[in-house]
Amino acid sequence: MPYLPTSQAFLEQSAQLLEAYPETTRITTKYHFPTETPGARSKRAKSQAKKAASSTSPSEPQTPSTQPQTQTTAPVAALTLKTYNPTTGIVLQYQTNKIAEVTRLITGLGKLAAGADVASLGLSAGAGLAGGDVEMVDAPVEEGVAVPAAAVSAGQGGKSQGQGQAGKGKKKGGKGKR
Amino acid sequence: MAPHLSNEQFFSSLTDLLAKTSQKARGSVFLSQKPLIDGVSNAPPSILIRATDGNTNAPNPKSETKDGKITKKSSSKDKIKFSTVVNANDLEAFYTRYADICKAGMTGLKKRDRSKRKAKGKGGAAKAAKA
Repeated sequence: MPYLPTSQAFLEQSAQLLEAYPETTRITTKYHFPTETPGARSKRAKSQAKKAASSTSPSEPQTPSTQPQTQTTAPVAALTLKTYNPTTGIVLQYQTNKIAEVTRLITGLGKLAAGADVASLGLSAGAGLAGGDVEMVDAPVEEGVAVPAAAVSAGQGGKSQGQGQAGKGKKKGGKGKR
Repeated sequence: MAPHLSNEQFFSSLTDLLAKTSQKARGSVFLSQKPLIDGVSNAPPSILIRATDGNTNAPNPKSETKDGKITKKSSSKDKIKFSTVVNANDLEAFYTRYADICKAGMTGLKKRDRSKRKAKGKGGAAKAAKA
């Protein structure tokens, strides 16, 4: 089953699925570290240490020894959200590795649990599949201010930027309505 | 199955489980939620929330001994699982704390990267000072 591109799309479609099958649909959140063999782990730690050393040495000659070590030894975990309906076999998934998204996602799950429909998730009414796109068109004025910062902080290509924008759109929509 | 924990107990167990997993930097935590619909009342349903580490108490079928018996290795750990039921009225308060605990416990995820923005800010300040 495919992963949805934005958390927004995930929450929307999950709301629709819950609306259609409230009794059998369940949502699972999985927080997981990548499985890797000890060899792969040491390899990754080495390459990360190398990278950290080369990237920090030009700008900061006195590399602080504690921080890079803690960063290199731990692999990056991921959070996978899955909405599953066993009777129809529909699975909706969304994956992220950013801690900044966790609060928004979980409060979104809370709204879903409380039986929120698509409209009350703070989106354009009846957005359906095109919800993410509509949202981005909706909020270009504020987006213009926010995008540079978001783009810099995300800094991982188009996909993550898209997520950030969609998230912003949602937040603003929610505030406006309240 | 073990009885449901109270919401408070659930939170403390979840904090422990997340901390342990993040510290080991391996393994998983599964959290699932589903409505408890009894089919009688029309009130908004309570939500059942389960948490587990994804281990199993069943023996691995591959570890079959010569005489065809399957025994669980004593070295493998027991499954951790616990659950709680949240009343429809308490959902909002519960999820606010739930989100906080998840955010605090899931330290293996990527932190918000502020270094680049900071560097940019510094550069801008330097430029302003020059001009």
